[in-house]
Amino acid sequence: MAFVKNQKTRAYFKRFQVKFKRRRQGKTDYRARIRLINQDKNKYNTPKYRFVVRFTNKDITAQIISASIAGDLVLAAAYSHELPRYGLEVGLTNYAAAYCTGLLLARRVLKMLEMDEEYEGNAEATGEDFSVEPAETRRPFRALLDVGLVKTTTGNRVFGALKGALDGGLDIPHSDKRFAGFKKDEKQLNSEVHRNYIFGGHVAAYMRTLMEDEPEKYQSHFSEYIKKGIEADDMEALYKKVHAAIRADPTVVKSSKPAPKEHKRYNLKKLTYEERKARLIERLNAFNAAADEADSDA
Amino acid sequence: MPAGHGLRSRTRDLFARPFRKKGYIPLTTYLRTYKIGDYVDVKVNGAVHKGMPHKFYHGRTGRVWNVTKRAIGVEINKQVGNRIIRKRIHVRVEHVLPSRCTEDFRERKKKNDQLKAEAKARGEIISTKRQPEGPKPGFMVEGATLETVTPIPYDVVNDLKGGY
Repeated sequence: MAFVKNQKTRAYFKRFQVKFKRRRQGKTDYRARIRLINQDKNKYNTPKYRFVVRFTNKDITAQIISASIAGDLVLAAAYSHELPRYGLEVGLTNYAAAYCTGLLLARRVLKMLEMDEEYEGNAEATGEDFSVEPAETRRPFRALLDVGLVKTTTGNRVFGALKGALDGGLDIPHSDKRFAGFKKDEKQLNSEVHRNYIFGGHVAAYMRTLMEDEPEKYQSHFSEYIKKGIEADDMEALYKKVHAAIRADPTVVKSSKPAPKEHKRYNLKKLTYEERKARLIERLNAFNAAADEADSDA
Repeated sequence: MPAGHGLRSRTRDLFARPFRKKGYIPLTTYLRTYKIGDYVDVKVNGAVHKGMPHKFYHGRTGRVWNVTKRAIGVEINKQVGNRIIRKRIHVRVEHVLPSRCTEDFRERKKKNDQLKAEAKARGEIISTKRQPEGPKPGFMVEGATLETVTPIPYDVVNDLKGGY
């Protein structure tokens, strides 16, 4: 290898300031976090709740979290992998599933705080902008939307989850500018289009076009839907049932599996000094043995 | 042109962030709560430009007299001429630390209360007063051998060996 000038000298490393760990991992936006967590000092220990929505490749996580010096505390959580319990088995990361997850979280929190009778929210999911009205006795549960590192374009699924939580009865400051179906030209939300998205209408439309034009792709893309026997026309009724089931019983079901005594190890265990020395001796012996063989052969 | 005497004059190093600690400030500063009557240290954080106190107050400790949305009112003593004035300033929370000056006192209070409660249970009376360090106790010196030193008569011949 040609001589390459060492670009990162010892001096470079000595002066290097690492970013915060979660920034290095690319998971936390501290600029947003500071502004979400900062509580007025004259409100002392009153918690400020964030409505956190995160998407993975196969799951949606919605949580209500308050911050503390020891670590954030999760008040309630809802995952889209719980939705099979309410009758939705496929499409667990689409806009409609996000709506269901947000709705589930909202009903769960309100039930936990015994506010669910007062704040029914919007039982009928029209796509219109709905904000909770404060009732007589208690003020509504207020949380602030925390999107994380997502690009907040119009029609993003986080706003689907937001709509679910709003219809569930939470008080989250928002505007309808980013809901699916908002037209920038008219500066108005087309609630029909939004309602379509909430009930998976966009998925159903794609299913129909694929069935007509490319049946093989339809078979491969929507294989799970076909296995469960869900057609494009069933979608709206299915989601209506899921919404009703969620409102009926949003309580958490604890998993019946017993907690494993030892936790599975996900990374390699670091060797001790003795183990590393022993390994080195083994490798040297093996190397010498191989060298002796090569000598005796040649 | 002479150097000015502006608000932040001569603070190039004082308000500078320490080595390898630049950028976003850790969130604990925002999560702490302060009540009226707490003791706080004022330590300016150069990364936050709003609500900075004057450089005089950097390093001073005072009591909280007011709590607002993002800032705290601190009462600090300042010597002006031949008297000490209690000055009231408002400082944003990023420039304030909870003071540990009363920590020792509070620990001692807790311990004393505990000791007194235990003594009461036993029926004794104890004194929890702090005593200053007294003189060291007496002790016997160990392993000392006695060496008696006596003068020897002056011997001219031996002593002039070197330079005779």
